[in-house]
Amino acid sequence: MSDSPILFVRNVARRFGGTVVLEDMNLVIERGSIHAVVGESGAGKSTLIKVLAGIVRSDSGTIEFDGKRATISNPNAARKLGIGVVLQQAGLFPERPVLANLFVNREPLHNGLISRREMEARSRDLLRQLGLAVDVHAPLGELGPAERQLIAIARALLENPRLLILDDPHSALDRRETDRLFAVLRGLKGKGMSMLYASNRLKDALAIADQLTVIRNGRDVLSKARQELTTSEEAMIGQLRQSLFPLPLRAMPTLAGTLRPQLAVSGLGGGRLSDVSFAARAGEIVGLAGLAGSGVSDLIALLFGAQKAGAGRVRFPDGDGLPKTRTEAARRNICMISGERGNGLMQDKSIAFNLANVVVGARDWGSRWYSPVMALGRAARQIEALRIRSAPSTPAGSLSAGGQQKVIIAKWLEIGPQVVLLDEPARGIDIGSKQEIYALIRQMAASGCIVLLHSRELSELTGLSDRILAFHQGRLAGEIAGADMDGARLLQLIAPGEAEGEGQQTSREGVA
Amino acid sequence: MTRTDTAPPLAGSANRKPGRRIRLPAETGAAVGLAALVGLLGWLQPSFLDPANLSLLLGQAALPGLLAIGMVFVLTMRDIDLSAGAAFHLAAAAAALLMIAGIDPWLAALAGIALGAGLGLINGLLAITLRLPAMVVTLGTWWMIEGLSLVAGKGQTIAPPGANSGFFTTLSGKAFAVVPAACIVFALLALAMHVVLHRTRFGYRVQAVGSNSQAAAYAGIPTPKVRLLTLVLMGAIAGLAGVIHVGAQGSVAPGDGSSFMLLAIAAAIIGGTSLSGGHGSVIGAVIGILLVQVILSAMNLLDVDAAWSTFATGALTVLALAVDRLFRMWRNLRAGHGEDNLLG
Repeated sequence: MSDSPILFVRNVARRFGGTVVLEDMNLVIERGSIHAVVGESGAGKSTLIKVLAGIVRSDSGTIEFDGKRATISNPNAARKLGIGVVLQQAGLFPERPVLANLFVNREPLHNGLISRREMEARSRDLLRQLGLAVDVHAPLGELGPAERQLIAIARALLENPRLLILDDPHSALDRRETDRLFAVLRGLKGKGMSMLYASNRLKDALAIADQLTVIRNGRDVLSKARQELTTSEEAMIGQLRQSLFPLPLRAMPTLAGTLRPQLAVSGLGGGRLSDVSFAARAGEIVGLAGLAGSGVSDLIALLFGAQKAGAGRVRFPDGDGLPKTRTEAARRNICMISGERGNGLMQDKSIAFNLANVVVGARDWGSRWYSPVMALGRAARQIEALRIRSAPSTPAGSLSAGGQQKVIIAKWLEIGPQVVLLDEPARGIDIGSKQEIYALIRQMAASGCIVLLHSRELSELTGLSDRILAFHQGRLAGEIAGADMDGARLLQLIAPGEAEGEGQQTSREGVA
Repeated sequence: MTRTDTAPPLAGSANRKPGRRIRLPAETGAAVGLAALVGLLGWLQPSFLDPANLSLLLGQAALPGLLAIGMVFVLTMRDIDLSAGAAFHLAAAAAALLMIAGIDPWLAALAGIALGAGLGLINGLLAITLRLPAMVVTLGTWWMIEGLSLVAGKGQTIAPPGANSGFFTTLSGKAFAVVPAACIVFALLALAMHVVLHRTRFGYRVQAVGSNSQAAAYAGIPTPKVRLLTLVLMGAIAGLAGVIHVGAQGSVAPGDGSSFMLLAIAAAIIGGTSLSGGHGSVIGAVIGILLVQVILSAMNLLDVDAAWSTFATGALTVLALAVDRLFRMWRNLRAGHGEDNLLG
């Protein structure tokens, strides 16, 4: 085995329609090392990975793998070269057994039938190596998120790849699970595996990487070995997102605090949530922090009428309690905007059609007719106001992720919402649109909405919220406001006992 | 596309400029095909254009055509109703039996339509309470309804008396001596339903649910109600077609309408209604059913063995699906989203 780098990426570019996703990407991965690629979502990480995985073709540029120039025209070509890929959406089948997920489309045959015994034999060592003690015949859906992630990695490893690519593998994991994942990755590195690790969490990338490449707007802006990274450079990368959050706007100066309409929740329980009480006033952005399973998503579902409450009382500004259905919520100007764009967008329909979703689709008053002329007018207005760069008749699915999210927000703005529930509203979109959406959230609050914001990105919460409610295991674990709002404090509240602040994290890294 | 140097390069945020291509209606392909086929047949076999033949053709197209109108709504909602043909037959049989029992034919007809709507209601309630696709539910109810009509008719032709009452003379009559009454009902209903699908709140909701039912639910669209109403509409239209059949033919035979469900689905697809939901065209379905009937009638005129007609209908449906799919793939490729297909 030579010591030359295993992978060279030179001047790779890719555009989708008029959108430049990769402009001039360069990357060198050394053998037997972990190379982290960091950048905001939308910077081009995922596309770079898809190019290497053969899912997306590059428009120009060259890729050299193992000293030879490679054309990766499809996923099979990548596999043959020895590139194993674990994508963000891992493409697993939750209803199928673990074994079936490990050998998708590559099931070993015995006399023409799939041999379960051989699958067990081939996966046993690997699973033990990954520290996975699971029943391989149980449906994958019964496993925890960390285990599922490791299964996805195991599936890639079964191919005996020489380069393992991981796209944001810890996005669904909490601290402890992330540590477990990192331990596995370090073990693989010890066996000589080369890895490309893409992430938008800088701290995690710094903890695991030997080399680091920062990418922004489809270009590599910095590439260095981890040890050579100066603290000032580290700080610079960390501050990339600083300017993202707009300053708070002055909210409703005419109304005194007590007179402002408010959302009062007392003793609310349902799903994972139990006995939660708080109040939120108009003009306020209240952050909701919590890991998966903390009950935050249940809270949002309850307030939007998507789930039934088990206990407790809620009083909305219009004087009524919880909506019984999502339709009732929409009619009472309670809106929910999710980062899961599949839940919000009709891809094959025009922007104008999408914007009529609530005004025409949900309401049962007003005209019984759907007027295309009015829909176009509505679309023209929102396209102008939210700077969606497209025509009203364009299918919503052809917009960039940021544009799609703006369409989803715009359809709710059309009804003048009273209560706005935001569930990771800026997930997976580029920085430019993120800034615009953050500004919109501020505007909504300033115009008298009650805004509840949930996000997994703690910086988003601390950057936007007036105060933050932290949830842990279904209960309200604490509230922080003003100068107390920083990521470390928050992490302690939402994951007590698992994260002892940043100092601890770096010392642990030193040991490993 | 060029980018100016002054604008900050925000990767991902610049959208493709809207194209200036003229957007042809989805029905264009089917309409051109129909016109070409009629022209070709008129040239090959002038007797094809005889008023008598055209009148027969229109009469044959009207009843499955009515079902196709309802089917467009169901398909647009990204569902499928397999029981429509059976509902047609049961409604016809029930109306005929009520007439035999001495009830006024018009009232009996109304009861037939109500029965169709009721069957749709049962389909709908099953689909929304069990949260099953209508296809699964109607696969079951299809056989149940078919069984009921066999029981009701005892496997015999049901011929109600009073062939010269107003009901029968109206429905078996012809406007301008050529256009059967059923055709007029078909044409009027098609126009009305076209407006309903594209210009009313109900039609909007049907398209929204079909395009992305998850997003529709999250936007507050009452999706269960929309599904229920659409299936009731389908049932009522099947009932209407059934009673028109009784009026026009004067009797109901056991095998009547057995091919209608598949014809209706084929017509809707040929007319540009997408099986993946979200898009539908009533006018397209009208063109579609005419196209199917023209082909069937042409095979008859050109002395092709009748057994081949079923094959031809199927082949045409596959052709329409292939053309639609290829067109979409080509358009996606041009829009630069070609990799979508690669993933399946």
